[in-house]
Amino acid sequence: MEESQQTSNTNPSYWESVGIAGLIFGILVFVLGLIITYITINSEPTGSMFSPMQFVGVLVCLIGAFGGMLATWHYAREYDVAFTLGTGALIGLFTGIAVTLINILLSQGWHLIDPKMTQHLINHTVANIKASDMGDQQKQQTIDMMAKSLKNRNSIGTQLLWGLPMYGVLNLLTGMIGAKIFSKKEEDNF
Amino acid sequence: METQKFGLYLFITGLLFFIIITALGGGLFGQTAPYYVQWQHKLFYGLCHQNPSRSFWINGQPMAVCSRCLGIYTGFALCWLLLPVLSIFTAEKKLIQKVALGIIFINIIDVVGNLFGFWQNTLVSRLVLGWLMGWSAGLFFMGDFFKITIKSIGNHHGRITADVKH
Repeated sequence: MEESQQTSNTNPSYWESVGIAGLIFGILVFVLGLIITYITINSEPTGSMFSPMQFVGVLVCLIGAFGGMLATWHYAREYDVAFTLGTGALIGLFTGIAVTLINILLSQGWHLIDPKMTQHLINHTVANIKASDMGDQQKQQTIDMMAKSLKNRNSIGTQLLWGLPMYGVLNLLTGMIGAKIFSKKEEDNF
Repeated sequence: METQKFGLYLFITGLLFFIIITALGGGLFGQTAPYYVQWQHKLFYGLCHQNPSRSFWINGQPMAVCSRCLGIYTGFALCWLLLPVLSIFTAEKKLIQKVALGIIFINIIDVVGNLFGFWQNTLVSRLVLGWLMGWSAGLFFMGDFFKITIKSIGNHHGRITADVKH
């Protein structure tokens, strides 16, 4: 037990791996989100709540959850060390946080490049709802809610609130799986 | 049965409970607001396409994740909960890796085949394939948290025997 504690205490820092994986997946998640947004903006309103263009999302389901696995792979490969499941979980958790923060940073930066993107998305959503077969009152309620939701989505607080928990938890899990797969040797205290 | 890192096991169990409850969507809580403004959908936004036509529905509301993602989460969670029982088996890490990679490959083929119209998958087929993927990921943790040792004595020393009182 003392030996394993000593091993984990003397392991090199994992922050470089967290940073690299967080950066790669943060950019990946941001770019995919951007592609889906612009495809949606440039599509014809169909009246359907789910744009057929969002089908692109089917191909990238859960992709943002694999940052933890990349980070543990990099850590194991770079330093050729054994590390515990708990360390893998921590690496994954921090990578999930990094993915969220980088995604937010890039999103905020993009609004300086294209400040009208959100308004175009709202306009498209409104046109889409108007093309649907809802009643007038329901249409107006839906438009109000969607517009409010899309505007809120741009605030840093909202992005942190909705991004951190799931990216953190799912990357934590993939970090643990990565520790099992890539760690130099499995620790077994039984 | 021996245990180790039991705190971590319980912590992950709690997280999985949270994920499953959230993934089931607003219908579970009888929420009446449109699904796209519900907190469950917002939490999974960016992680799943959340297409209502590709999701199961509860109480007139689509779940917060598609059927394949639901399968992944429930498959992993069930395997995780059964780890104490599964610990009587042993499996090579490489074998589990091959099984997991094979199932991921089948899922990719299913997505691509459906995308190009070679076949039409269904809610249930996507759920099952996702479930297998989650289950295979859970298998990586066999023997990490629990270990069952069968001790034989006397003439049966070294053999697996029934639990007979001498």
